Amino acid sequence: MNAENTQDQRQDQGQAELSLSGNQLLPQLVAHLREHRAKLRNEWASRIRDAHLLEAMTPQEMAAETTSVYDNYVEVLETGSVEALQHYARDLSERIIPRGVETHEVVGIVLLLRDVLARSLFEKYQRDFALLNQILDAYEPAANRIANTVAVSFVDERERVIRQQQDAIKELSTPVLPVRERLLILPIIGVLDSERARQLTEQLLSGIRTHRAKVVVIDITGAPDVDETVANHLVQTVDASRLMGASVIITGLSPTIAQTLVTIGVDLSKMNTIGDLQGGLEEAERLLGYTVTRKVVTDGS
Amino acid sequence: MNSGPALVSILRQGDTLVASVHTALDDSEMVRFQHDLVRQIGEHRARGIIIDVAALDVIDSFASRTLRSIADIARLRGAVTVIVGIQPDVAFAMVCLGMDMGEVPTALDLEEGLAYLSRLRGLGSSHG
Amino acid sequence: MSTARATNEPQESGGAADVAALIPMLRRIVAARIGQHPAAEDLVQETLLRVLAAEDRIEPGMLEPYAIATVRNVMATMWRQDDRDARNQHRIHDPSEPDEAEEVVVASEEQSAITEALRRLTDREREVLLAHEVSGRATQSLAEETGSTANAVAAQLKRTRARLRVEYLLALERTEPPTDRCRAVLMALSSADRRRQREVDAARHLLECDLCARLSQPLLGRGPVRDNEIHVPISADPDIVAARSAAREMAVRAGFAGADLTMLATAVSEVARNIVRFASTGEVTVELLEQPRPGIRVVARDTGPGIADVDRALEDGYSTYQGLGLGLPGARRLMDEFNIVSETGHGTTVSMTKWFDTKGRG
Repeated sequence: MNAENTQDQRQDQGQAELSLSGNQLLPQLVAHLREHRAKLRNEWASRIRDAHLLEAMTPQEMAAETTSVYDNYVEVLETGSVEALQHYARDLSERIIPRGVETHEVVGIVLLLRDVLARSLFEKYQRDFALLNQILDAYEPAANRIANTVAVSFVDERERVIRQQQDAIKELSTPVLPVRERLLILPIIGVLDSERARQLTEQLLSGIRTHRAKVVVIDITGAPDVDETVANHLVQTVDASRLMGASVIITGLSPTIAQTLVTIGVDLSKMNTIGDLQGGLEEAERLLGYTVTRKVVTDGS
Repeated sequence: MNSGPALVSILRQGDTLVASVHTALDDSEMVRFQHDLVRQIGEHRARGIIIDVAALDVIDSFASRTLRSIADIARLRGAVTVIVGIQPDVAFAMVCLGMDMGEVPTALDLEEGLAYLSRLRGLGSSHG
Repeated sequence: MSTARATNEPQESGGAADVAALIPMLRRIVAARIGQHPAAEDLVQETLLRVLAAEDRIEPGMLEPYAIATVRNVMATMWRQDDRDARNQHRIHDPSEPDEAEEVVVASEEQSAITEALRRLTDREREVLLAHEVSGRATQSLAEETGSTANAVAAQLKRTRARLRVEYLLALERTEPPTDRCRAVLMALSSADRRRQREVDAARHLLECDLCARLSQPLLGRGPVRDNEIHVPISADPDIVAARSAAREMAVRAGFAGADLTMLATAVSEVARNIVRFASTGEVTVELLEQPRPGIRVVARDTGPGIADVDRALEDGYSTYQGLGLGLPGARRLMDEFNIVSETGHGTTVSMTKWFDTKGRG
């Protein structure tokens, strides 16, 4: 197989099995990269530092991950199969995405490795230009394919994580928790905009029906602040719950929110507010137990 | 209300009247319902009234006021009224509209309404 | 025969005018077949009625061929009738005998109304209309004559037909419209121009003007059929329920669900009730919106006494009815947009919108 042939095949089957295009040359290449593993990996790591990539990782983590990437990289060149690399890339992505690593960083480090290795090949073969050409012809498509694989794995993983987070947030944003029979807790966590407030209300009201709730504790300890629209909404939710026969206890009312409620003309004395969730739950049990106690009295008389 | 399927049924259970609204009522039908119910409160000397509005897909200002005035009249005649079955969407729309049931007790459904009345009666008899 | 021109005409809808324009041609055809037969003119009128009735189903430009086919059928029917009459002469009673005298009177009234309507057009309008419909001249050739474009001529023809329809209806009633606005409103309806109808507030005028309400009946169906708009006349209690059901159905089609549906229906209930209580008659229009985003617009119009102080009526607690005036402010809270225009002595229009996508809500 001559160089021209190799070239043609590369153009024809860009993503074809690597072993085809690098039959004799790739083993040589792989041997070289194995031999100089420590030196090349260090060089790569320092280039990554210079480019300020992956700064979310500790030096130890960097050392461990770059070694793994390097070994995987060489393995792809050797076997022509990206499967192992794919798995590793996904794994890695899963670990680093929560740390806020961006796509350009991941693509960046892979391209840096490609350059570092290409330079070393230049150095080694610079005296034999024809051989260098052949080596690069074998190396480049494999290297591009690796970069591609890593980038795609990362983006896929990122999308999956984002979807998962969105679902989690959606669930979290409407957590109507049945604590015990006839008692629901609605902890409001995070910023309440009017759209989320609407969702909460719909969820709570249908929750009252499904769980046949008699008492609802709305805990707003986790809500930093509410504007007037949302405060209004909160009041409407309390009133609507009452129309469905459920009593509402509000806990964790911050002075700021209390002020907002007063500003929009809410009569706080008509709202059952208790300092903290614990107190709210005790009050709820009292409300639920209240009937029982009285019944006992009734029966006894 | 005498022709076709009944829009409202009023059943007597001991000294409790259970009025179930079966379909959306227009204003005149609502008023007729009020008259029928009030008349029966007197006839049966009812002590408790349950109005089941689960079938109403809208409770607007007129319906709210009518329900409240039924409860007021009933109270003057010595009966307690419980409104039951207000649907979640309806409850929210009522609140947005600015309507509420005032001092009229509400309960989730018929069962809860009956439980409320029997509890109340228990309290009453414990005093007597 | 001038049917060949039909194909290169821009989109035009037919109308009483087109039908009227067919008269001379139909007379020629009938005369050619049955000469001075006493029923000749009846056949022409019969054809006109059939064409008029079928007009909405006829492809633009195909009116003439349709009329020709119809007049042949009508003649054939007459011959068959004559034939059957001959065979059935021994029977005393012929059930198929039409109430001829009355029909003839009606037909001649219609014809004179069309003549009168044609007379009321300007010379230029009549000239172009007749050149196009009777002499069969294409819009292109008419355009060249006046240095205009085919589209402009077609648009002019469309306006002329719309006018002819209006004038025909007025002539048939032998009446002049009572207000200055009537013709503008009827024109807007006749030309099926929704934008213009809104500009002249046609819906409100039809509530106020009995004549136009009556005359507009045959005009209302004009234009592309729109199933994204419902009109509910409001005059009594059951109409309130009908209006809110209509709104709910429309909203379900727009993709609304859950609390939004109930909020919309409740708001409609309130504004419809205001009509019944304060104005006694009016209408509620429910319209499906696509632009700028999916939603439902509800317009409640009445011809009642109007609200003297709209701002106060929108304040919570103010009312002219049973001490609680929650209708308007409540409806406003239930909807995303709310607008009210009221003129003392003239009536009130409440327009309110609920958007399907909840983003951007205040």
